[in-house]
Amino acid sequence: MKVSCIKDNLSKGLAIVGRAVATRSTMPITQNILITAKKSSGLKLAATNLEITMTCDVGAEVEEEGSITVPARLLTEFVNSLPSDTITINLPADSRTVELKCARYKARINGMDAKDFPKIPTVSDGLNIKIAPDALREAIGKVVFAAATEDSRPVLTGVQAEFANGGLTLAAADGFRLAVYKMALSEPLSEDMSLIIPSKSLGEINRLLTDQEEAVDITVNANRSQVLFNLKGVQMVSQLIQGAFPNYNQLIPQSSNTKAVIGLGEFLRATKSASIFARDGSGIVRLQIVPAAEGEAAKIMISAQAEELGDNVSELDAEVDGEEAKIAFNSKYLGEVLGVITQDKVTLETTGSSSPGVLKPIGDDNYIHIVMPMFVQW
Amino acid sequence: MPRQILHIDLDAFFVSVEQMLNPELRGKPVVVGGHVNTRGVIAAASYEAREFGLKSGMSIVKAHRLCPHAIFVPGKFSHYIAASKKFMAILAEYTPDIEPMGLDEAYLDMTGFEPLYGPVKQTAQTIRERISSDIGITASIGISTSKVVSKVAANLCKPDGLLEVAPGHEQQLLAPLPIGKLPFVGPKTEKKLAGLGIKTVGDLAKWPVNLLTKMFGIHGQTLNLHAKGIDASVVASRQHIKSISRETTFAKDTLDIAYIKANLRYLSERVGAALRKEGKSAKCVSLKLRYSDFETINRSLTPKQPVDTNESIFDTGVTLLEKAFKARKTLIRLIGIGVSNFVDSQRQLDIFDTTLLKLEHLNTTIDKIRSRYGFGAIQNGATLPLRQKTSIRDKDYQLHTPCLSR
Repeated sequence: MKVSCIKDNLSKGLAIVGRAVATRSTMPITQNILITAKKSSGLKLAATNLEITMTCDVGAEVEEEGSITVPARLLTEFVNSLPSDTITINLPADSRTVELKCARYKARINGMDAKDFPKIPTVSDGLNIKIAPDALREAIGKVVFAAATEDSRPVLTGVQAEFANGGLTLAAADGFRLAVYKMALSEPLSEDMSLIIPSKSLGEINRLLTDQEEAVDITVNANRSQVLFNLKGVQMVSQLIQGAFPNYNQLIPQSSNTKAVIGLGEFLRATKSASIFARDGSGIVRLQIVPAAEGEAAKIMISAQAEELGDNVSELDAEVDGEEAKIAFNSKYLGEVLGVITQDKVTLETTGSSSPGVLKPIGDDNYIHIVMPMFVQW
Repeated sequence: MPRQILHIDLDAFFVSVEQMLNPELRGKPVVVGGHVNTRGVIAAASYEAREFGLKSGMSIVKAHRLCPHAIFVPGKFSHYIAASKKFMAILAEYTPDIEPMGLDEAYLDMTGFEPLYGPVKQTAQTIRERISSDIGITASIGISTSKVVSKVAANLCKPDGLLEVAPGHEQQLLAPLPIGKLPFVGPKTEKKLAGLGIKTVGDLAKWPVNLLTKMFGIHGQTLNLHAKGIDASVVASRQHIKSISRETTFAKDTLDIAYIKANLRYLSERVGAALRKEGKSAKCVSLKLRYSDFETINRSLTPKQPVDTNESIFDTGVTLLEKAFKARKTLIRLIGIGVSNFVDSQRQLDIFDTTLLKLEHLNTTIDKIRSRYGFGAIQNGATLPLRQKTSIRDKDYQLHTPCLSR
């Protein structure tokens, strides 16, 4: 194999596939990056942690075809340290030692045979759909953080993507909160389908979408076990999570006893300042929603206390319908949902201090976020 | 102005209450804590019984052997609660700065009251007389400038005594005492100190602090200060409860798992009820086991979320029990369960899993029923095995140290 390419292009490619390199694995080769050079398709980098596989094209001139796998970390760090210049990658025939050369810098890296690298899954058959990158990015950003990080309930580590009625609904829940975002599709799917995509995979896609201009090409294989995201120069194949996502629709409260409309910026600021005091005390922030009465305007008080250190309270203006309410949340959950809402105002609805708090941006009926309260002594 | 701290201790409290209720017991070796030929430990012994070497914590069998003519009374906890309430009410007439230590002991800060009541010693005497006339039992009082010295003084003048340690004379009083007389010096610390050649409080006061801290950590410094009669701790009127535990000695050593678990369940409910009454959740659950050879182990566990339901306390207890059995599975003499490391009741509710919420409602409801109709009014089915081996009084299970059954 003999290839030459621009250092910065190679660096960028390594950074992209590097996200899929296994960090802890019983299969050492998954800590390597697969380098494949073909005259027809150019230079390709690939990495897999067996859940996610990423491949990336790097603009290069291929003189001799070939392939090899090289330790990801060593290769990436070395390439990053080089000056911006042309790099030649040379693998002598019957050798496993890659020679890299850039200006007057040289390195030899011992690799492992490309034949031993896990097969890159191909997802070609099955259902195909195209989604505009901005819309997809917005949708993912609204729900992905609500997915579970620990896998005591594996389906909850994923985001449910439900294609139905010409639209796509993304839902994520970790048990303490639930985020649901609905979006219309310009090219509806021919049949309804529901998938659970690992939230980590969606997080990676979201990262890559910043550079994407064309519609994202998504293919799901026939037995619904893998999904391929085809972006410009980058392909990601993710395993899908098998299992039944909880039926969350019945958990979304249809009515409330208290409804408050709050300015988002103020709400977020007050939550953040309360979270500083809440840090030591399990992150508890307390919300007291007070309707207008006897000439006094309606308001919300957001408070937190740090055992023995002190406490804080912020008062916000609000439009309040219904009765006075007290409800406590984990500041992290409240802060995260407020952080992804872009509208100026948000409504908070609740039926009591042990019932879910429902947050909806005003002017966007597509997003609904439920945060379960903390049970506290008032 | 030097502080004036009183330590008041009711003499042989449980026994005194029994003697007050039944004057025939006066002047006799009386032991509270179960019947002869039963197991368990004695909770209190009268001064007459103490002359035979009897003391609280001793097994009934041993107590009986040492003093065969001792009168054993089972006792009743509610009597002690009633007497204790009267005791505390008397103290409250003299100062708001009261720190109760259990039912029968308290620290009082009387600093600044002399213009009102006259010399502190005289006030202490009045308090002693009030306790004697109103409750019918005797009390001993130590007076000094600190809690630790007052406690030692009260112990020295027991029973029915009064000892004032003038400011500046603290060391003089403490120095000749054996080290075990100092509060917080248990048998283990005593043994360690003896290993260093420290026998008296005076010896301890002379030891370099840094060597003590090396051996005992921060406690070493406190020990040294206490030995010098220095204790700046204030009389804290509102005592935070730091732990809650309940334990029982079996009528017969047992390895009957169902029976052991039934006891654990019952004790967990007792602990849970007390914990919820405080409005707290506990971060730590601990299990105490005493094997038939008296080896005693304490094992604790921190569950993912702080606990306050009977179920979560019991479940953690069972986990600990099973773990303990893996290490050693022989006949069990005593089992106890406790909770500590309290936080305000709080927890994150789950959208999908409402079991916890349901359990909470269940616990609250059971608590309400019990507070109205008595603890025995409703029992968990898991405690049914207790019916076969445990006597029932007022519908409730009668555990083995009846005088301590709250």
